[in-house]
Amino acid sequence: MDIITIIYIAYSVIAFYFLFLFILIYFQNRGKIFYYPEYIQEYSLSMVVPCYNEEKTIANTIQALLDSSYNGLKKIIVVDDCSTDNSYSIIKDFAKKFPKKIVALQTKENTGKASGTKNYGAKFVDTELIGFTDADSYPEKNAIKQMIGFFDTEKTGAVTSQVLVKKREKFIEKLQAIEYKVIAFTRKLLGFVDSIYVTPGPLAIYRKKIFDEVGGFDESNMTEDIEITWNIISRGYKVEMPLPSKVYTSAPEKFRGWYGQRIRWNIGGLQTMNKYKNVFLKKGMLGTFVLPLFILYWCLGLFGLIVLSYRIFRESIIQVLSTGYSIETQSAILTLRDINLTPNVLVFFGMTIFFLSLVFTITILAYLKEDEFKKTGLLSLLIYMFVYLTLYPLMLVTSLYKFLKGKYSW
Amino acid sequence: MEGKKRIFWDAFLLTLVVFLAGLFLGISFESSKVAQINEYYANSEIFLMDILALNNMIGLEKNCNLLADANLKMADKVYEEALLLEKYSDSEKLAQAMDLAHKRYDLLRTFLWIDSVNIKNKCNSNFSTVVYIYEYKTKDLVKKATQNVWSKILYELKQNKGDKIVLIPIAGNNDIESLESLKRKFEISNLPVVIINEKNLITKLESVGELERYFE
Repeated sequence: MDIITIIYIAYSVIAFYFLFLFILIYFQNRGKIFYYPEYIQEYSLSMVVPCYNEEKTIANTIQALLDSSYNGLKKIIVVDDCSTDNSYSIIKDFAKKFPKKIVALQTKENTGKASGTKNYGAKFVDTELIGFTDADSYPEKNAIKQMIGFFDTEKTGAVTSQVLVKKREKFIEKLQAIEYKVIAFTRKLLGFVDSIYVTPGPLAIYRKKIFDEVGGFDESNMTEDIEITWNIISRGYKVEMPLPSKVYTSAPEKFRGWYGQRIRWNIGGLQTMNKYKNVFLKKGMLGTFVLPLFILYWCLGLFGLIVLSYRIFRESIIQVLSTGYSIETQSAILTLRDINLTPNVLVFFGMTIFFLSLVFTITILAYLKEDEFKKTGLLSLLIYMFVYLTLYPLMLVTSLYKFLKGKYSW
Repeated sequence: MEGKKRIFWDAFLLTLVVFLAGLFLGISFESSKVAQINEYYANSEIFLMDILALNNMIGLEKNCNLLADANLKMADKVYEEALLLEKYSDSEKLAQAMDLAHKRYDLLRTFLWIDSVNIKNKCNSNFSTVVYIYEYKTKDLVKKATQNVWSKILYELKQNKGDKIVLIPIAGNNDIESLESLKRKFEISNLPVVIINEKNLITKLESVGELERYFE
C-alpha cells in the first residue's frame, strides 16, 4: 500500500466514525429530538441586544423580542456601540414607547466588537437569567419560552436555540440555509453527549450567576460565543438546546461578507483552542471530545489540503508536460483510453461516505422542514455538498496565517 | 454518563466492522481482477507454448507462415491485455498482486520479443517489431508524461500499420534477467525507449509520421 492510499483510508475511517457517531446518537435519542421541558419556575430574564449600524434590522429585532410569549422577560436592553447610522434613534424611539420594558444604552465610545457591547449591556442586568440576541436576528414568538425549562435543572449554565437563515433569495443564502440546519441538528445531537460547543449570538440565554462566574464574554476572542460556552462547560455546567426554539438571522448575502465571517469564526476557534489547550484529554467532555474534535478538524483540514494540493500539483505538471509533448509530436492530447473507469476500493469508500452524508443531510432537511420556505432544491444541495463544503479547508489556511501573524480584527 | 460514553465506543466498533468489511470486499474485488488477469495470462501462455511447438516444426514453408500469423495474433492479444493490465494496476490499491502479474506478463512479452526475432530470422518474414520498454510505476513526472505520450503514439502507429508490426510493450524495471541482458545488448541505460526492428533505438519522442519512416 502506498502512502496516499494509507492517508485516504485513514480519512475514510475518521469520516465513517463521525458519521456513525451522529447516526447512533440520532437513533438512540430520536424520540427526544424535539423535546423541551416546560418550565416550572418563571425566571426573570433580561435580553441584551448589541447593535452597531443596524438601522435596517434593529426595529424588527426589538419587535420580535416584544412579541415573545415568555412572561418572565422583564427587560430588553439595547446597547448601541456608537453607530454612525440611525440605529440609536430607532432604539430610543422604542424605549420611549415601551419605557418599562426597553432600555436604550450607548457605549461611551465604539468598542468595535460585539463582546464589548454585550458585556457593557450585562452590567445593567439584575435578573436571574441573561439572554443575548444579535441586532439582525429575530427569535420566534415561543423561542425563549421553549428554552427556559432547562434552567429548572440547577447544573444548566446556558441554553441555545436553532439558528436559521432569514432571507433565502441569493444562492449563497440558500447554501447557508442548508448549512445552518445541518449545524443546528448536529449541535442538537452533540447536546445528547454534553458536547454543545457554542451558544450562538442570534439567541442564547445564560444563568446570570454563572455568566458572572465565568466573567462574561472574553473581549479578546473573535468568537466570544464559543469561548463562553467552553468556559461554562469547563466548570462542569451543562449547555442545552431545544430544537423547536428558533431564531432567524441575516446571513451574509455576498461572498466577501461570508468569507470574512468564516475567517473570523476560524480565528476565534483557534483562539479558544489555544486558551483551553491545558484541558486536553481532561475536564469531562470539553477535554475528551470537544477540544480533540476541534483539533482533529484543523489537522485533517490542513493536512488533507496539503495532500490534495500535492496531488493536483503533480497531476497538473504531468498534464502540462503531456500536452506539450503531444503537441510536439502531433498526437492526440486526450483519448478515450486516458479515462480509467475501473473502480477501486478507495472510490467505493468515498462513494459510501458521500452517499451516507447525503442521506444524513437530506434527513436533516426533512426533519427541519419549514412550511414558510420553499423546499431545498437539488442543485443547491449538490453545490452545498460538492463545492461549498470543500471551501472549508481553504479558509483554514488563511485563518491560520492571520492567526499566527496576529492580523485580525472585528 | 456511562451510556453517553458507550456511544463513542459503539461508533468505534461499528466503524471497525464496516471498515473491515469494506477492506475485505475491496481485497476480494481486487482479487477478482487479478484472477481475471491470471486467466488471460494462462491463455496467453498456452498460446505461446503452441507457438514454441510450431517453432520446432520450422522448415516447411507452410509452417513459417502459420508461425508468423500465430505470433502476430499472440502479440496483438498480449498488447490488448497489456492495456487492460495497466488499467487494473492503476486501480489496485490494497494488495500488490497485480505487480506480480505484471512481472509475469513482462517475462512473457520478453519471450515474445525473442521469439519474434527468431521467426523473422528463420522465416525471413516481413513484419516489423516495435518494442517499447518503459519504467513501471515511475515517480519521475517528466518520464511519466513522456510515457503517456509514447503509449498514445505507439497505439496510433499500431492502428495505422496493423498486421505489419508486432508491438510489444515491456516494463523495463521489473528485474527480469533475460530483459536485462537484452537491455545490455542494446546498450539501453535510460527508459523509456522504443526499439524498431532491433536496429533503431529511439529515446526521444517522435511523431507517428517520423516513426513510419523507419519501416520504409
